[in-house]
Amino acid sequence: MKPLSNMLLHGLLFSAFTLHILFVLLAIGTTILALYYFIHTWWGGRLKELRWDKEILRTFLAHKSLAVVLGVGPLLLIQVAFSVPFFIGVNLFAPFWILVIVFLIIAFLSFDALGHKLYVHHYLHLGFGILAFISLLAVPGIFVAVLVTVENSDKWLTIIHKGYKLSSPLALHWLFRYLHILGAAVVFGAAFHYFFSTENETGKRRTMLKWIVNGILLQFILGIMLYSSLPEKPDQISNVSLFVGVIGAAVFLSLIFSSRNKATTLKMKTVLPVLLLILVPMLLVRQFIQDKKLMPLEKQLQANAKTYQKELQSYHQEALNTYEADIHLVYDNGETIYLKSCAFCHGEKADGNGTEAKSLAIPPEDISALRTTRFHLRQTLIDGVPGSSMPYFTFFDRNKLEGLADYLNRRYSVLGLPKPIPVNIPDSTLQKARETYGATCTQCHGKDGTATKLSRGFKPPPPDFMVFSLSPERAFKIVTNGYPGTMMPAFGTLPEEIRWGLVKMINEKRTV
Amino acid sequence: MGFPIFQVPYLGNGMTIALNAVLHVIISHGIAIGVMTMVVTSEYFGFKRSSKDWEELAKELLKPAVIVITGVGAVTGVGIWFITSALSPRGIGSLLRIFFWPWFTEWIAFALEVIVILIYYFTWEIWIGKRKRQHIYLGFSYILFALISAFLITGILGFMLTSDGWAWDKNFWSAFLNPSFLPQLLLRISGALALGAVFSSVFLFVTHRRYAFLKEALRFFGKIFLASFLGAMVFSWWYFAIIPSTFKTHTIFSLLTSRFSQQPEIFYGINAVGISILFLFVVFSLRESALLSKMLIIPALLFSIGFVMEFERVREFIRGPYLMPGYMYVNQVLLEEGPLLDKEGTLQNSYWYNMTANGADTLSQGACLFAQSCSMCHTIGGINDIRERVKGRTEDGLFVILGHAHEMIPFMPPFSGTDQERRVTAHFLYQLTNEKISLGTPSRFTPLKGGGIE
Repeated sequence: MKPLSNMLLHGLLFSAFTLHILFVLLAIGTTILALYYFIHTWWGGRLKELRWDKEILRTFLAHKSLAVVLGVGPLLLIQVAFSVPFFIGVNLFAPFWILVIVFLIIAFLSFDALGHKLYVHHYLHLGFGILAFISLLAVPGIFVAVLVTVENSDKWLTIIHKGYKLSSPLALHWLFRYLHILGAAVVFGAAFHYFFSTENETGKRRTMLKWIVNGILLQFILGIMLYSSLPEKPDQISNVSLFVGVIGAAVFLSLIFSSRNKATTLKMKTVLPVLLLILVPMLLVRQFIQDKKLMPLEKQLQANAKTYQKELQSYHQEALNTYEADIHLVYDNGETIYLKSCAFCHGEKADGNGTEAKSLAIPPEDISALRTTRFHLRQTLIDGVPGSSMPYFTFFDRNKLEGLADYLNRRYSVLGLPKPIPVNIPDSTLQKARETYGATCTQCHGKDGTATKLSRGFKPPPPDFMVFSLSPERAFKIVTNGYPGTMMPAFGTLPEEIRWGLVKMINEKRTV
Repeated sequence: MGFPIFQVPYLGNGMTIALNAVLHVIISHGIAIGVMTMVVTSEYFGFKRSSKDWEELAKELLKPAVIVITGVGAVTGVGIWFITSALSPRGIGSLLRIFFWPWFTEWIAFALEVIVILIYYFTWEIWIGKRKRQHIYLGFSYILFALISAFLITGILGFMLTSDGWAWDKNFWSAFLNPSFLPQLLLRISGALALGAVFSSVFLFVTHRRYAFLKEALRFFGKIFLASFLGAMVFSWWYFAIIPSTFKTHTIFSLLTSRFSQQPEIFYGINAVGISILFLFVVFSLRESALLSKMLIIPALLFSIGFVMEFERVREFIRGPYLMPGYMYVNQVLLEEGPLLDKEGTLQNSYWYNMTANGADTLSQGACLFAQSCSMCHTIGGINDIRERVKGRTEDGLFVILGHAHEMIPFMPPFSGTDQERRVTAHFLYQLTNEKISLGTPSRFTPLKGGGIE
């Protein structure tokens, strides 16, 4: 739902955008003039004199600040008026769109520094000036590209396909639209500085008038090119509005010529309305064309959103219930951490039979049978087990992992030594088991129970019997059946008492 | 129709927003509120005590402040919006609709703030003599607008960590005036003044002043710093006392990350050192020991900025899986949308992923699902690299872990999609981690081109 009526929304959008564009034009126009007069003065060898370009550039601080602050409104409003098309347009040019921030900072800091009596060597001045100028001019280029994209929804898939490129007719449209903004910047910038930076000097005023006249003539040519490059021919109301704007431009020209003939100066109270008579209808044309393109799409999207919302309604309560349960769950104790982060594999009873155990080729360990050291348990939690589904758990801080270890120990006595084997076997059998271990098991488990050169690379590697053991029953089961999914084979063909002997000798390898 | 996903290479989407936001906070708080308060107060002292020193300090401090506020502060402020509209459009779009009017009012306040600071700046040498008093009033009215701006934006963005209320009633006021609103606002203001005092002290040391005045000004900024720093400590305690434990418990991890999460002493140590240095600095300033406080000014500056970054990092991180509490996950999936997507599938509903063109290409599907579900926080080959996170896991293990991501790692959102889609994502991640595939355009796994996978 939109928070205000369409009428009000679009009215506000248009007014805020007009104000924004006015100051954008003044800011860009100011930099064009300042850079021109810096080079001009330099060529004339008059850099040591009072510099006009500095005088002009001094006003940049206010123009750009107002352009930015007045740009926030339209940004807010267009995101509400045409949310989906706008966000998509922005996204399709995302890297450039994000770079706008960098460009603006470079341009603003450099121009403000140069405009505020920061006297630097003229080569540096020129270098900074050009860098700032290019950065600043990139910004309207990106904005226009985004707007052209927003307005042409039929091209979205092509644009994402081609990677941030506008196809040729749109590229041409973009170019003329962009140049038209620069032309307007020259006219508006020169008109501003005619009143505010010429200090009533006739010579300076005359040059400003030249900029304005040439600018307007250029705008006529660019305007015709832009008009012919429009993807769709504008409707009647756009044409009428355009006509009014052109009349405004003509009136402005005639004012200038008559003042020149009569050798009088222009008055701000006559120029300002004329400038608005140009700006407002021209921007209205833009708005009409945009609305014509986007309104039907926006309507369709709104309808889609409504249907989707209805579809989601049936899941609403379920989602809220899950959320409520989640926010009352605090992962600050071993039990919660075990039940939420471990139990789906290792099982609520820690017997290795979690709900997901059957999905795993290497079954989760039976933790209730685990007998190890605190250090080794922690190390396993920190590193995980490579080549298995057992991940690392360092997304919990140390206290939490200690809490988990304490919980497991409290519940299943995992920290400590395994119990003796439940059967009695004679020494001769134990000796045979030792021989079997030496002949068969040492290749992977090593003489002392640690992984060998060969087995260290296994995924997962064999456990270190010096710090890790299992209850005799569980160890016997593994010796007999092997450990599925790992290199550990089954030794069920060995006599049962040898297997018990193996368990006994393995569990005796624990040094800590 | 959903939005296409763009992934910022190396930095990742979240970090890109964060970098811009931190820069903005430092300027908007430290300079736009902090330093500007010092400027206006200094001007007032200059007027009241007929002190040329205070007047000059105010005037000289104002110029860089205005340039930085309008040139970097305002731009990065809009920048947060720029970046989120490209990277997290559903999030920012929803926030805009709920908070349209406060945001609109905030715009007006922001506009007035900038207009007033411009008038204040340009009239410094014009409004003199009898009009000086008016100029000072103008300065204070600027600060008022800056505070209104802070008030509004804290209400808009501050509700993410308090879970009760808005999620259920969707009432604007329960979001805006959430329980953490007041402590957060006070914390921000006191933090701003503390930063402002440190920035102004730095300015004192890098410019030329009479020695006697240097000590006087240092003492004044020291007093402001002490009061606001103590305030910031009290208010941050208050703020964190209100935040639900379910979020708060991840504080240490949010700062230390996986790399250092097992050495919490680093967290306590650095904070203790920082607080001690700031207190030492303030003691030296109050005792007018210019040399000693000059020696500590750089560490004090770095730690002040560090504390701001620490707070913002914790605040942003611990809200964990939610972009908006009870409404939207951080990967822009609505809470109530999750079950639907689990049933019907994510790709099936995506305008941007053409199922028929790539139906058989499971890797491109995986890339697209990764982009949609994970890329807000994880990158491929950059910060929080997903390959580091899943290294060593088996494919079936990844399948299981993806299905329990939210349960297992409480600050991660759940994976949304069918079992088949989860399998496809696990396959993609496994292949990616074991370097069996290479990526074409890492920033945009343009699924229409076959996932950008070569």
